[in-house]
Amino acid sequence: MLNVSPRTRAYETLPGLNPLGIPAVAPLPSGESPDTARIVERFGTALLAAGLHNGQQVVYVAPGQLVALAEFVRQDPQLCYEALIDVSAVDRSELPVSDQRFHTVYQLRSYARKQHLTVVCPLADSGRPSVPSLAGVFAGATWPEREVWDLMGIRFTGHPDPRRILMPESWPNHPLQKQVPVGGEEVPFTLTWSDPEFESFGKQVLAAESKPPVLPPGMNRENMIINMGPHHPSTHGVLRLVVELDGETVVNVDPDLGYLHSGFEKTGENKRYKDFVYYTDRMDYLSAMSNNMGYCLTVEKLLGIAVPARGQVLRVLMAELQRLASHLFWLSTHVLDVSGTGMALLMYATRERERILDLFEMACGARLTVGYMRVGGVSRDLPPAFLGHLDAFLRAMAERIDDYERMLTNGPLWEERLRGVGHISREQAINLGLTGPMLRGSGVDWDLRRDAPYGGYEQYDFKVPVFSEGDSYARYLLRMEEMRQSLRIIRQAVDRLPDGPFRVEDRKITPPPRAELDISMEALIHHFKLMTEGFQAPPGMVYHGIESSKGELGFFVYSDGSAKPYRLHVRGPSFNNLFAISNMSKGAMLSDIVTNIGSIDIVLGEVDR
Amino acid sequence: MGLEEKLPEGILTTQLETLVNWSRENSTWPLLFGLACCAIEMIATGSARHDISRYGSELFRASPRQADLMIVSGRVSNKMAPVIKRLHDQMSEPKWVIAMGICASAGGPFNNYAIVQGVDKLIPVDVYVPGCPPRPESLLYALDRLRAKQGKETFRTYVDFKAPPLSKQPDEISSLESLRRPQLA
Repeated sequence: MLNVSPRTRAYETLPGLNPLGIPAVAPLPSGESPDTARIVERFGTALLAAGLHNGQQVVYVAPGQLVALAEFVRQDPQLCYEALIDVSAVDRSELPVSDQRFHTVYQLRSYARKQHLTVVCPLADSGRPSVPSLAGVFAGATWPEREVWDLMGIRFTGHPDPRRILMPESWPNHPLQKQVPVGGEEVPFTLTWSDPEFESFGKQVLAAESKPPVLPPGMNRENMIINMGPHHPSTHGVLRLVVELDGETVVNVDPDLGYLHSGFEKTGENKRYKDFVYYTDRMDYLSAMSNNMGYCLTVEKLLGIAVPARGQVLRVLMAELQRLASHLFWLSTHVLDVSGTGMALLMYATRERERILDLFEMACGARLTVGYMRVGGVSRDLPPAFLGHLDAFLRAMAERIDDYERMLTNGPLWEERLRGVGHISREQAINLGLTGPMLRGSGVDWDLRRDAPYGGYEQYDFKVPVFSEGDSYARYLLRMEEMRQSLRIIRQAVDRLPDGPFRVEDRKITPPPRAELDISMEALIHHFKLMTEGFQAPPGMVYHGIESSKGELGFFVYSDGSAKPYRLHVRGPSFNNLFAISNMSKGAMLSDIVTNIGSIDIVLGEVDR
Repeated sequence: MGLEEKLPEGILTTQLETLVNWSRENSTWPLLFGLACCAIEMIATGSARHDISRYGSELFRASPRQADLMIVSGRVSNKMAPVIKRLHDQMSEPKWVIAMGICASAGGPFNNYAIVQGVDKLIPVDVYVPGCPPRPESLLYALDRLRAKQGKETFRTYVDFKAPPLSKQPDEISSLESLRRPQLA
């Protein structure tokens, strides 16, 4: 379709200076933990490997034993891994191995025991790689497995809905396979007026023909089938829903994703570690700071470095401000969708949000796509006036949240539209792999900030609001309470903001200060090496999840020892949470779908990635 | 012409073209349509602080048939391309397009398999706005540039306008049923 320029994966280091052993395979896990010992006890030699790797419990299992293992770890009272958080896959064809080209990787979570388990399944080589589907054990595997089939080309046998999910049905390849080029176009740096290509600019060159829609499986043509989106004011972006209606009652909903698929994962594999931070801003563009933080923490975990205290507090401060901004935007659009009279709240909430964006602008110069955090800390220190403005904002904000609640909480229209709508039970929420407010609104007391602390969150005093009703109204109350708790965390962060460096002093990872470049040759060399080559990460794989405003935002990185991630996978909370839309909407009215979309709080940049 | 001297007070004379352009400049209704990060800045432009209604563009229309201006706010994926083309086709003339941000203008940082490298490969663009994303002030400036362009339009444009050929001539259509897609019929 487009002018695709093939690009091979080049390691930009000079021969001779090139560290031997790049690319390298991630080492097998070693040692043991109580959980892996229990699994080994049950499965014995059927396991390929088990133990700890980068501080995480990892189990390697053959495809034949995968379903048995999943059922065992789910039901065994000593293990109790209730939820499947993520499914991804690695194409190892560019690693120095000759067999088992594909590995599928599963992330399991035990909420009761606060444990995390990674299961790796090496697939036998064949023209049509396939693995048993886990959708029968964990319903939450359905969409992530469809995504792996779409982007990596691995079939899941026994999958209830084996269609592509992000790319168009007619797409010729599976883009994340290594032999598929990253695509795009050559950038013409030397274009002149006389160039024949110049004539074509601004003219229509792509046909882009609309294809007739396909009826999703399981829908009955006797009922009315309507199409919501991708251009629809209440779908929060370019989500398309095919809705089957009996009268005004919803019989079936089939979301069609991928209208904003931007190839983040493929791009990430072609960028150095330090360069991908800016892309994470554009994934969940309503909480760019959280995305920065999640990615940086993952790479830091891989590198094994610790951020100085000031850097940590600054990160927490910014991430909580971002949570506040994201919830404010959610509130304003949700009110606008649910009751058309809510234009006033849109104006009020964006007024406060603009003040947060002003603070971001003071800190880093950008409003939305901030790029403030870096691997090893943050990009720069706070300007002197920042804390004064922040203090004024915090004092005003506490009252504002009460104002919003006065406008909404006891309003008859608001209650009518939200109470009992989009109900999810506790068991469903866990089984569907939901996270964040969707999980806590259904009575699961789980917050990664408290239960698997990262970035210094263990030092803060805050409550995790939990509601057991499981409807949209509970999720609304929960997010309002989260905003108050964020204010508390921000105040504590301001109080404890220590002096000292705001990023690691290791010159191999962060650049030297500008002033040093004028006087030190060594600093200049460090700067040059860092900007041209980046830093290399040791071979291995790592998954790290953080509590973003929408749920668990996870990054999975497979490193081959070079300066670029060999495989980068993002677990977007909106993607997994959106899977619940069918369960929430079946049997409800058509207008409740709008409430449900708002209540899930999706951002399509993160759903489609 | 001396006409003004004979008219009572309160009546101005002008050219029809100027009058039409003046009204179009001051009530350009955008399509309610957002793609990615830039859409958030577009909403910010429409809300409290920046107040796009100073330019007469606060009425974001959800139907393309009522809209004059398409603000392509974000990256355009290959799957989205036919939708955008279709929406643009559904807008009635005269219509304008602003490519907001570097992704809509030229693909931006997403030089990969998934993203169309600039929406001008699909539809003609009037104003390109740089930035990632552009600030609300940039979008307001783009609207200002669009006003300048609208002010220079002449009726001659529409005389010379050639409608694209119809896929089917009206007398070739036997019944409405025959227009239905085969798999739906």
